[in-house]
Amino acid sequence: MTRLGLKEAALALLIAVLAYQVIVPFAMIIWTSLKLARPGEPDFLSLSFTFANYLRAYGGEAFWRISLNTLSFAFAATLIAFVIGAFMAWVIERTHTPLAGLIGVLLIGRIAIPGILIAISWILVASPNIGLINQMALRLAGLRNPINIYSFSGMVFVQALELVPLTYLLLGAAFKAMDPRLEEASAMTGAGHWHTLRRISLPLALPAVAAALLLLFLTTIEAFEVPLLMGTRAGMRVYTTEIFYDTSRTPVDWGLSSTYAVALLAVAIVLLFAYFRLVGHGERYQTITGKDFRPRRIDLGPWRYATCVLALALVFLITGVPFLMMLYASLLPFYQVPSTAAFASMSLDNYWTLFQNSKTVTPMINSSILGPAVATAVVLVVALISYFVQKTRLPGRRLLDFLGFAPVAIPSVVLGATFFWFYLIVPLPLIGTLTIIGLAYLTKYMPVALRFVSASMMQVHAELDEAAQVAGGSWARNFLKIMLPLLKPGLLAAWLWVMVHAYRELTIALMLARSQNRTASVVIFDLWEEGSFLRLGALAVLMFGLLSVLCALARVISARFGVEEQVA
Amino acid sequence: MIEVAGLRKSFAAGGQTIAAVDGVDFSIKAGAMATLLGPSGCGKTTTLRCLAGLERPDSGRIAIGGATMVDTGVFVPPQRRNLGMVFQSYAIWPHMSVLENVAYALEGRGVPRAERRKRAMEALALVQLTELAERAAPRLSGGQQQRVAIARALVGQPQALLFDEPLSNLDAKLRIEMRNELKRIQRESGLTAVYVTHDQAEALAISDEIILMRAGHIVERGTPVDVYRRPRHVFTAQFLGSTNLIPGMVAEVNCGRLAITTALGRILGVDPTGALRGGAKVMVSIRPEDLATDGINTIEGRMAFAAFAGAVVEAVVLCGDTKIQCLLDGDADLTPGRSVVLRAKPEACLVLAEE
Repeated sequence: MTRLGLKEAALALLIAVLAYQVIVPFAMIIWTSLKLARPGEPDFLSLSFTFANYLRAYGGEAFWRISLNTLSFAFAATLIAFVIGAFMAWVIERTHTPLAGLIGVLLIGRIAIPGILIAISWILVASPNIGLINQMALRLAGLRNPINIYSFSGMVFVQALELVPLTYLLLGAAFKAMDPRLEEASAMTGAGHWHTLRRISLPLALPAVAAALLLLFLTTIEAFEVPLLMGTRAGMRVYTTEIFYDTSRTPVDWGLSSTYAVALLAVAIVLLFAYFRLVGHGERYQTITGKDFRPRRIDLGPWRYATCVLALALVFLITGVPFLMMLYASLLPFYQVPSTAAFASMSLDNYWTLFQNSKTVTPMINSSILGPAVATAVVLVVALISYFVQKTRLPGRRLLDFLGFAPVAIPSVVLGATFFWFYLIVPLPLIGTLTIIGLAYLTKYMPVALRFVSASMMQVHAELDEAAQVAGGSWARNFLKIMLPLLKPGLLAAWLWVMVHAYRELTIALMLARSQNRTASVVIFDLWEEGSFLRLGALAVLMFGLLSVLCALARVISARFGVEEQVA
Repeated sequence: MIEVAGLRKSFAAGGQTIAAVDGVDFSIKAGAMATLLGPSGCGKTTTLRCLAGLERPDSGRIAIGGATMVDTGVFVPPQRRNLGMVFQSYAIWPHMSVLENVAYALEGRGVPRAERRKRAMEALALVQLTELAERAAPRLSGGQQQRVAIARALVGQPQALLFDEPLSNLDAKLRIEMRNELKRIQRESGLTAVYVTHDQAEALAISDEIILMRAGHIVERGTPVDVYRRPRHVFTAQFLGSTNLIPGMVAEVNCGRLAITTALGRILGVDPTGALRGGAKVMVSIRPEDLATDGINTIEGRMAFAAFAGAVVEAVVLCGDTKIQCLLDGDADLTPGRSVVLRAKPEACLVLAEE
C-alpha cells in the first residue's frame, strides 16, 4: 500500500508529537549541563561546550554527601515500605483475614491523597512543640518532645507509609498472578505450609519481588514532598530538593541544578536498566488478570483476627491519619490539641473563607480542568501508540513504543525543570499557563498509561480490527467505534490513574507555577509556607471530595459506552 | 479403597450459592481405576479436589485406604493424605530442574537426600525421562511435562493417584499414546486411581469403572461396557457416544420386551431398569452402529445425506420428520432420495424413561 491515508498521517503526527515531548527534556538537561551561559542568553545556543559545571558540582564534598543522603534515604524507606506492603498484599490477597476487602479499598483510596498532605499530617502529628503526640506527652507525662519527625528516621517513616499503597499494587498483582496449582502440587507431595512457602512460593515470587523493590527504590529516589517539607530541618538534603532550590532561588543556579539533574537521571536509568534485565522485555505488557484462577487463600485459624487488627492499624497510619488530621484541622478556628472545647468550637468557617478567595478558588478550578484534560489526552495518545505497535506493521511503530516508554526514566523534578528552561528559550507564550503543566504531564504519565492500555490491547484479537476493515469503515471510524469501546476497561483504568495523579501532582506544578497557573497542590504548599494549617485542611478535604466526584462521574459516563465488564 | 459418602460442597459466586457437589456417594475398589465423567460444571473436579484435600467439603465423609480423611470435625490437610496428583496444567515448578521437581515430592515425606535422588531417578525411568533429568523444567514439551508430573505423583509411593483432566492439553495423537501409558503405569503400580475427564472416549478406554455426573449428582455408574451398552438414563445414552432418540409411549410389556408406539411405527425394545409400565412416556435409544440390515424392527425412510468415511458410510436417513443417524456398509448405495429400510434388533433398542 503506497497511498498515504489518515492512518499513516496519524502515525507520523504521533511520532512527531512524542519526539518533541520526550526528546526535548532529555536533550535540554544534557545541553544545559554543558553550558555556562543561561537559557535565553545568545551563547546558550552556540556549539561550545564545557565540563565546568560537572567539575564544580561533583568536585565538591556537598555533592557526595547529598548523594549518600539520597541513596540511604531511598534505601531505608524502600525496605520499610516493602515489608509493610508485602504484609498487606499477603493479608489482602492470600489469607482469609476478615475485612480484607475493605482494608484493600482503604489502602488504594490513599492514592487520592496528595503526597504533600501526608508529609503535612505527620508534621502536625509528630513535630516538636506543635505535634499532637508531643503536646499530649508534655501534658500527660511531662515529657518534652519525645519524638521528632524532623529527622532521618522520621522522614523514612513518612516516606515509607507514602509508598505502601504502590507496594501493595505491585506485589498484590504478583501474588494474584501466581498459579495456585504450583502450591497445591507441593501440598500434594506432603510438604507443609512453611516448606511450600520457602521452597515454592518465595522462589517463584522472587523476580516480581526484586522488580518491585527496584521500582520502589526508583520512586523514592525521585520523591519530592517529604524531603521538601522535612528535609531542611532534618538536615537531609537530597537530589530532588537541590534541583528545586537551585532552580527556584534567584539567581537560578543553572549549572548546579542541571548537573544534579543529570546525576538523578543517571541513577534512574541504571535502576531501570536493571529492572528490565530482571523482568525481561515482555513484562512491560504483563496482563494482571489474564488467567482463570483464584489464588489459594491460606486459612490462618484464630490468627486471622491478629492479622486483621494489625492490617487495620497500618491502614489507619497510612490512610486514616492524613485524612482525619485534615478533616480535624479544617473544622477548627485555631490549631489545638483535641479536647471537648476543641470539638465544641468546630465550624465550617474555613471552607467559606476558601470559597471567598479567588487565590484558592482559581487553583481548584485549574486542577479540576487539568486532571480530566490531561487524562483524556494521555489515554488517546497511548491508545493510538498501543494500536500502532500491536495491531499494525507500519514502519516506525517500534520507535513509537520506545518513545512512549522512555519518559519513565525522567524524574518529575527534572521534567519540571527542563520544560521551564525549554520554554524560556522557545518563543512560545506558554510559561505561566496551564498548557505548559499539561504538556509536562503528558510526558510524565504516558508510560504508566501505556502499560494499562497495552495490557488491554493484547486481549483484543487482531481479527476484530481486521473484520472492521473488511466491513469497509474508514480507519478513523473503526478506531473510534471498534477499538476504543473494546479497550474500555484498560482505558478507564488508565484514565482514572492519570486523572487522580495529575489532579494532585505537586513537583512539576510547583516548578512551573506562576500566579495564574497555580494548582490546588501548589496552593497547599503556599498555605503551608504561610502557616495556614486550617484553611489548608479545608482545601485538602475539598480536593478529596472533588476527586471522588470526578472518579464517580468517569464511571457513570464510561458505563454508557463500550463492552460490559464481566462480573467474575 | 476409596469411600465417599454424602459429599457436599457449594461455592459463593456473585452473591448466590451454587452447589457444585450436591450429595455424592461412591466407593472404589483397591487397585481399580475409576473415572469421574461429565460435562463441565458437573462437580467432577470439585469432587476430586475434595479427595485431594484442596477443597474442604461442607459435609460428608471421605475415607482413603481405611483412614478417615474427612468427617464431622475431621479434616486431614492435603500434605498428610499421602496421595499423588497430576494436575491439568501439570503444575511443574518452573524454577527447578526435572530431577528437582520429582525429588521435591520426597522432601515433605522426610526421605534423606541421597535416597531422594535415587528414587527420583527410578521414577523418571518409569516414565522414560532419565536423559532429561537435569533439564530446566520450562524447557520441556507438553508431553514431557506430563511425564514429569506423573513421575512426581508416583515417586512418594502414595496410597492413591488422582488425575485432573491430565490429557486435555495434549494433541490428539499424543493423547492416545499417553492414555495407554497412564493405564500401564497404574496397572503396574497397582494403585487405586481416580481420573477426572469430560472426554467420553478417554473414559471408555481407560477406566475400570465410570462414574457419570451431572449438576453435582451421580447419574449412574458401572463398567465402560455397562454404561455404554446398557445405559439407564437418556443423559447417559446421549453423553457416551452418539445415539438416536425416538420419542414414544409404552404400549405393551411382555417378558422383558416392550412394544413402543412411535411416529416411526412400532418398535420392540428392552428396558434396562425393568421399571417401565404400560402408558409411560419414553425415549427409544438406538446407536448408529446398531442400525443394520437384520433385525425385526424396521424403520423406513429416504437417504438424506451420506459421508463416505472409509470402512463405513455415515448416513442420515430422513424418516418422516425425524433424522436418523446410521453407519452403513462401505458399498451401500448413497444416492440421495433413495428409499432405505433400516433394521435393528430389540436388544439394541433401549427404552429409557423420558427426562
